[in-house]
Formats: sequence, C-alpha cells, structure tokens
Amino acid sequence: MNLAELFDQDLVSSVLRSLIPILLAALGGMLAERAGIFNIGLEGMILVGAFAGVAASYFSGNWVVGVIVAMLAGALFSLILGYGAVYRGGDPIVLAVAMNILAIGLTSFLLVAIFNVQGVFQDPGIVGIPVWRIPILADIPWLGALFSLSPLGYLALLLVPALWIVLFRTPLGLRLRGVGERPLAAATMGVNPQRYQLGAVLASGALAGLGGAQLALGNVVQFTENMSAGRGWIAVVAVMLARAHPVGVLGAALLFGFADAIGFRLQSFGLPQQLTDAGPYVITLLVLVLMSGRFRKTREAALA
Amino acid sequence: MNALRRTGRWLAGPIPISVVLALVIGAVFMLVAGVHPLDGYAAMLNGSFGSGAGLANTLQRAVPIIGIGIAIAIAFRAGVLNLGTEGQAGLGALVGGIVAVYTPGPSILVIPLAIVAAVAAGAVWGLIAALLQNGLGVPILLSTLLLNYPARYFSSWLIRFKLDDPGSDLVATRQIEPANQLAMLVPRDSAFAETLRNTLGPTNVVTAVLTGVNWSLVIAIVVVAGAIFMNRRTRFGFESGLTGQNAEFARYGGVKPGPLVLKTMALSGGLAGLFGLMTVVGAPNTRLIEGSFVQSNYAWTALLVTLLALYRPLGVAIAGLFFAAIMVGSDAMGRELGLSPQIAAVIQAFVIILLAFRVALPRGRRRRAGTEAPVDEAEEIPPLPAPTAPRPEAKEAER
Repeated sequence: MNLAELFDQDLVSSVLRSLIPILLAALGGMLAERAGIFNIGLEGMILVGAFAGVAASYFSGNWVVGVIVAMLAGALFSLILGYGAVYRGGDPIVLAVAMNILAIGLTSFLLVAIFNVQGVFQDPGIVGIPVWRIPILADIPWLGALFSLSPLGYLALLLVPALWIVLFRTPLGLRLRGVGERPLAAATMGVNPQRYQLGAVLASGALAGLGGAQLALGNVVQFTENMSAGRGWIAVVAVMLARAHPVGVLGAALLFGFADAIGFRLQSFGLPQQLTDAGPYVITLLVLVLMSGRFRKTREAALA
Repeated sequence: MNALRRTGRWLAGPIPISVVLALVIGAVFMLVAGVHPLDGYAAMLNGSFGSGAGLANTLQRAVPIIGIGIAIAIAFRAGVLNLGTEGQAGLGALVGGIVAVYTPGPSILVIPLAIVAAVAAGAVWGLIAALLQNGLGVPILLSTLLLNYPARYFSSWLIRFKLDDPGSDLVATRQIEPANQLAMLVPRDSAFAETLRNTLGPTNVVTAVLTGVNWSLVIAIVVVAGAIFMNRRTRFGFESGLTGQNAEFARYGGVKPGPLVLKTMALSGGLAGLFGLMTVVGAPNTRLIEGSFVQSNYAWTALLVTLLALYRPLGVAIAGLFFAAIMVGSDAMGRELGLSPQIAAVIQAFVIILLAFRVALPRGRRRRAGTEAPVDEAEEIPPLPAPTAPRPEAKEAER
C-alpha cells in the first residue's frame, strides 16, 4: 500500500463530501442542545430530509425545490420531538428513538407507495444539486476543493461562524443559551422558554433535513433505504464532544469525514467494504474514550 | 365492580388510546398507498391471528422480541440506557451460531455450548459499554449505540468471506445439523403430532401452534417469569429499580452504582445474545445469513415494546405479542395488497410517540380546584436519566 496514494489532493474533496451532511445535522443538534433539548433524532431527520428532497426534486425537476422541501420536511418531522418534549412533557430520548424508527418505516413505506420500488430509487428525473465551482480559487492545490462545493456545502461551512456569532454575540443567542441553561431565570427575564426550545428543535430538523438533501441529491443522486446509515448518531456524538460549540462541532465533523473518506479509499487497496464501513464508528468511539476527561470533569462538576 | 371500573379507566388511558390513534394513522397511510384501510387491517388480522399457521408465526416472531425486550427492560429499569441490543444479539447469534454449525458432537452438548457462547458474546459486548462508562464516563447510550455498527459489519464480513457456503445462493453458512436445531414443541414427525393431526385436523390452531413453534417459546416464558421474580424478590431487582427511580437516593442507601451498571449490562447483553441465537437455531433461520438479524429489526422493535410496556416484564410479553402480530400481519398485507411491510414500523413508532405525548381521553370527573387529579403513575413511561452529557454551562461554572 502506498501512502502517497492514500493522501492525495482528492482526499480533501472526499473528506468534504463525507463531512457536509454530518456537519449540517450536527449544527442542528447543537442548537437544540443549547436550548436544553437533547436531540438524538437527527438520524431520522436526515433520512426524512433525504427522501423528501429526492421526491420533490423528481416531481418538480428542480433541485432548489428539492432542497427547500427537504428542509421543510426535516422541520415538520422534528415537530414530533419539539411539540412532544416541549409542550407535552415527553421524554426526548423516547421520542427521538421512536422517530428514528418511524423515519425508516415511513420512507421505506412511501418508497413503495409512491415510486413502486423497493430498496433503491434511482431515476434520471431526479435533479441533483450542482457543484458551484469558484473560478481561479478552485484551482489552488489542496485547498481548491473548498471552493468547488455544492451550495449546501458552502452554506454548511459558512454556518459555523454565522451560528457562532448568533449564539455568542446576539441577544437571540443569549436568550437561547439562557433558556437551555436556566429556563426559570430566562422566564423571569420575559423570555418564553418553550417558544425558544421549539424553535431550536425546528431549526435542528431543518438543518438535518438539509444534511439529508446533500446526502441524497449531492453526494449521490438517489434514495436508498436507511441511507443515513448512522450519520445522525455520529452528529450526536459530535455535538457532545464539542460541548455544543460551533467550532468544536466543525472539528468533530471533520474528524469523522476524514475517517469516512480514508475508509472509502482503503477499499481500493483491497480492504473489504464491511471492515472499512465500521471505521467511522470505531473512530467515533475511540475519540469518545480519548476525550473522556471532558465527560468526567463535567460529571464531577455536576456532583460537586 | 371495582375491577370493571378500573378496566374502564385503563381503556380511556394513554396506552389504549395511543394504540387506537396509531392504528388510525396507519389507516391514513394505507389510504395514501391506495388501499382501503378495512381491507388492509382485515388482511393484517387474518395474517397474524386468522389461521393456525399465522398464530404460530406470530408466537414464533414474538419470542426474540420479548426476549430482547426483557433484556432492554432490565437495563432501562436500572436507568442504564442500553441501545446496543442489536449488536449484542447479533454477536450472540454469530458466535452461538458458529458453535452450533461447526461443533461436532451430540446435540445434548452442542446446544448448551452454543447457548453459553451466545450469552457470553452478548454479555461481553454489553460489558465493554459498562466498563467505558464506569472507568471513563463515556455515556452508555452512545457507546452501546456505536458498538452496534462494528458488530454488524464484523458479522457481515465473517459470514461473507470466511463462512460462506458456496452450495447456497444466499451469503450464508451451511445449515445447522437438524439434531442441533431447536425442536418444535411437538416434533412434526412424532407420533403425538400424528395423533394431533388425526384428532384435531392438520390446520387446527392447537396442532399448528404445537408443531409450528419451537422450544424458544418456553425459554422466553421462563425468562419473563425470571424477570418478574428478579424484580420483586431479589436484591439486585430492588437495587436496580431503586437506582432507575432515583440514582442519588440509591447511592445514599448504599447501592454501589459501578458494580450495578456492570451486572445490569452483563445480564442485559447476555439475554440479548441468547435471543439472538434463537433466531438462527430454529426460526426464522437454521443457519447464519448475512445481514439477516439487522434486517429483521427485532432489536429496535423490542425497544419500542419495552417502552410501551413501561419496563414491566409481563407488559413486555403482551406488547411483544401485539407488535409481533403487527409485523406478521403487515407481511401478509404486503404480500396480498402490494404494500411495503414497513407499515408495521410506522404504526409501532406512532404508538410510542403518542404514548410519550400522554394522549388520553379526558377524565369523566372534572379536576377539583386545588386537588391534583389522581394520576396513574404507572401509565407513563418512567423518566430516563439524561446521559452525562458535557453541558455547555460547565465551562462557565469553572470560572
């Protein structure tokens, strides 16, 4: 095996490819976490977004419609968690677990009901998201891949600083964090915690839906049953590792994108797909173990 | 009279209302797919309970759901969020299945050996997560979940590249020796089965169930009874229930949280491994098939069942039968009406979502001002402990 072949310029673009859906979903999860709702339903929200995006793009013949519908579908789906956890006092973990199962059932059922296929829906009628190549910049060696992304790719990367500003430099972000950390204190300041929490969950659904659109209309142009394949869970871990900080989320997502891309490459060196597929999950687990000091510190702080 | 009123109150409570509403939502999805809901539900009912074979199928399908459901219930009751039963049961099926396929010798030795191997494999996979939480503080919710994927892909790889039997079209091992498979309650070629067929008829319900369901049903019943006994009569059951309700109080009372998590995960993972094995030594399969356990979705169905049953063993058994019937019925409906059998997952998930929404008919008597309405605590999913997430505020607290 030749290491130079493993790490070449194309690696950057494959890392970005793997990273963007996870990053979009994780940024969504971050917002919900900041508002005090533990969102482990990202997996299902990505899947719903992917299906809705493919269906809308197929029927409208327009990728913009596909992306918008994916976003709306993700937000609509996340209402289950938002309404249930915020207004009905339901347990977010229970709701999200059920949502993830619902998403698989729902999309597989509609796949047969609407498109009359099982497993995979592939059709030339599905219009994929184009790549917007920025001239000159895209020709820079190595970093050029950063300027040859899908619109959602740029959006995801720009959202990192944008959400940082919103969270830490605007009244909106202050209130959102206040709601998550001290809901009662926020309420006495005249902030309605429930509205902020619902809004954060809806936003997380919309972002995860966009992640699904990137997955099914950008990375590939097709819908496959259960195509989110654990990315939502990786996004959940990214949120926890980053302590819901935008830059940390980017870092964590970068790591997983890297693991994914390397695994995919190792396949061309003859490693069986089954083993490389396990890579991102094993690495995620290893990172959890290595970063466990953070967990312990917070636990001790919580007990003290 | 009192019992009647209590039944009436239960019927107006969250569980039955959630079930009914979920079935209504299922009907809407059938309409979307262009099927009349009455036809759909008729096909579903007919497929799951309508015939002896259907009933036998439902019972057989309920076994792994109930078994894995008990495994999850034991963990959740102790406040240990084990979402990794798919991996634990899958590895149990793999390791136990390998023992069952390849070990020579009399079945009286091979079957117990396979069971021990399956339980050990599941328990070890569960213990990894327990050790990670105790030693390093990695939340069990995440570690168990992430451990599903290596287990899934490793099984897949092993069966495809190391164990595949070229004699079959499927990617699968060779069959387990018939002597080493779990026998039907009444073996089909036995004299008693012949008597049953002659006296009751070959399609009679009793004949179909006794000759169509294997001994794993008995194992499941024993496990349910064992779990009831454990919860009510043993120290471990008491301590785990207490910890699930109020971890701080249990700690104050002298329960050591670390060892409790270890014991719970070993037991939970071991049970999951055992029932993973059941799916490859008799029904639905008699060999290891790539991806079969994951696709069957038993582990996740079992999780929903456990939530519906509010972690109570008898409830798990009843809810498990119900969800198995929905699955078997949906398969039948799918075949007859050209629908996706995934309607089962939609209905099942909505039952849990609606239950978490606490939907219920309004009580007959109005709440008197100042007094709380009598709430059936048992009618709600007990609160789950939040995983030890690194909360954003910790940073501020350090200052």
